[in-house]
Amino acid sequence: MPWYLYLALKQLFPSGRRFPFFTAISVTGVALGVAVLIVVTSVMSGFEWGIRQMMVDTEGEVQVQARLPMDATGEILQRIRTTPGVAAATPFVKGFVMAMADNRPTFPTFRGIDLASVESVANLKRYMRAGSLDDLDDDSVVLSSILARSLGAYPGDQIEIYSPLLIQKLKSDEVFLPRRMRVVGLFEVGHQQLDSSTIYGTLRTGQEIFGLGRAVHGVDVRIKPDANEEAVAAQLNNVLPPGVRAMTWMETWDDFLWALHLEKRINFFLLLIIVLVAAFSVMSSLLIAVVRKTREIGLLSALGARTRDVALCFCAQAFIVGLAGTVLGLVFGFAVLAVRNEIVHGIARLLHREETLRELYQFSDLPSHPLASDIVLTIVFSIVFSTLAGLIPAWRAARLKPVEALRHE
Amino acid sequence: MSEAVLTAQQLRKDYLSGDRRIEVLRGVDLAVTAGESVSIRGESGSGKSTLLNLLAGLDAPDGGSLAWAGAAARAERRAAFLGMVFQAFYLIPEIDALANVLMAARMVRSPGVAERARAKELMARVGLAERATHLPGQLSGGERQRVAVARALMNSPKLLLADEPTGNLDEHTGDAVIDLLLSLCRETGTALVLVTHNAAYAQKTGRQLFLREGLLH
Ligand SMILES: Nc1ncnc2c1ncn2[C@@H]1O[C@H](COP(=O)(O)OP(=O)(O)O)[C@@H](O)[C@H]1O
Ligand SMILES: [Mg+2]
Repeated sequence: MPWYLYLALKQLFPSGRRFPFFTAISVTGVALGVAVLIVVTSVMSGFEWGIRQMMVDTEGEVQVQARLPMDATGEILQRIRTTPGVAAATPFVKGFVMAMADNRPTFPTFRGIDLASVESVANLKRYMRAGSLDDLDDDSVVLSSILARSLGAYPGDQIEIYSPLLIQKLKSDEVFLPRRMRVVGLFEVGHQQLDSSTIYGTLRTGQEIFGLGRAVHGVDVRIKPDANEEAVAAQLNNVLPPGVRAMTWMETWDDFLWALHLEKRINFFLLLIIVLVAAFSVMSSLLIAVVRKTREIGLLSALGARTRDVALCFCAQAFIVGLAGTVLGLVFGFAVLAVRNEIVHGIARLLHREETLRELYQFSDLPSHPLASDIVLTIVFSIVFSTLAGLIPAWRAARLKPVEALRHE
Repeated sequence: MSEAVLTAQQLRKDYLSGDRRIEVLRGVDLAVTAGESVSIRGESGSGKSTLLNLLAGLDAPDGGSLAWAGAAARAERRAAFLGMVFQAFYLIPEIDALANVLMAARMVRSPGVAERARAKELMARVGLAERATHLPGQLSGGERQRVAVARALMNSPKLLLADEPTGNLDEHTGDAVIDLLLSLCRETGTALVLVTHNAAYAQKTGRQLFLREGLLH
């Protein structure tokens, strides 16, 4: 081991019983920054992962959509189902409606699903909170949970659904009566926006509401477990007629995912400031060390040390602190993630806010999905910042003239 | 005549203090041969430390030339060529006595079994075999200076430069350190340049010089 590395280690962790106080503070600073980054990015990715999971669960990996309603449903479905990599497909209709109960209007999205085939694509049952999907028929609907609350309509109640065609009919002096539907279930995917604005009904109900006849708006596709969603989407686009396009769920939700990612990146860079501050604390304690040890630096020159190696001795200290802090931060961060729910529930219980937590944030458990890319980025930033923090102290040490350093009081 | 270990010719050193130029060394000539011991005395502020630092290559002279064993003095050669002992002991406080001695070896190469054995032997030779694992803070002044002597001799240097090594020690301890220094240098054939105030110590060296008005007499 070169002497500067040996001495760097010894100055950080002196022999004997002395507790390395400066080192501990610097390392803790870096560790805290790293731990916070790991916890926050993992939880945010956990939310994102949950949403992705939910999207794929309810709509399949690939969606086939057309600019105009698709007429030749049977033939298109046939083509889709025989495309390699496709496991199942189910047609749907989708559009805005007005729903009313007790004169309270709402404007949710109505999704008409094909009861015969929907189960092969979407795992909707997993998200049912009350009632059953099996009870759904042409005269009934399933409401998403927040929508149900704002309508004040629960299983057994009746609601009225007004079609957008109403307006057109009015122009030709026709009267188009709203449909009375029975609520047979509540649905909750755990996402505020979706849970406040979706109604599920049968495909036939949807076709009637939107005046489609036998046409549909699109087809949800479930791919085989070993298939690649982009490859399947590309294959489908080869066989589908013009004007009909297959998109992966990532393309469908592009804006949404982009916003989610942006939010995560912003958080990452804001929290990176903690690591930056920690790096400054590494720098200041090393600068103090350079002053405190000026005479020893002079001695090292007298022993024959090269200037470059003296500088490296301080760079190495910064690097070691960065490395130790990063490792400690990773351990600490993952430990916090492991007991995250105990922590959250503990705090909520302490504040008597467990209900609020569930209602406001719609989770009873905090998700976590650490991504390798986030972890690598965290490690790289914290080690690079800490090592850079060593440059100024190293430069100060290297600049000392041996004779003046030895004379230093 | 035996080989020259150190040859200094017309060494000059000036310091600027404000806008006044102080000529500390005005052309010092000094030749030290192998195994020889030389003492330098002089009043406080006469430039003894300045001269020793120039001889060690720690500072650049404003004029003159310096050779170590006949070749130009270069910083890379210092670790293997010479050892230094100072008034303040300058031990590294974070590592134990033995590790401080080994520190000199580390400047040349990563220490192996041979270096460790030699460091232990030197610790024994300076009478500190039992204190090898003590930190500098746990040693007395005299003990610290003896560790510094062992460190200075670690790389079997040709030359040892000692700058008032007894300045921080009481008389009794100082005597012991000087005797140790002289006998070790004699045993190992190391040339010694000893800066001291003490006439009695100077008498023990082979050649006594005085630094006065920037010149060696
Ligand atoms: N870095 C410096 N700047 C200005 N003057 C210095 C410096 N170093 C030493 N001197 C001056 O040089 C003279 C010789 O100093 P020094 O060699 O330490 O003397 P000695 O060791 O004989 O007591 C003193 O007058 C001192 O003030
Ligand atoms: Mg002096």
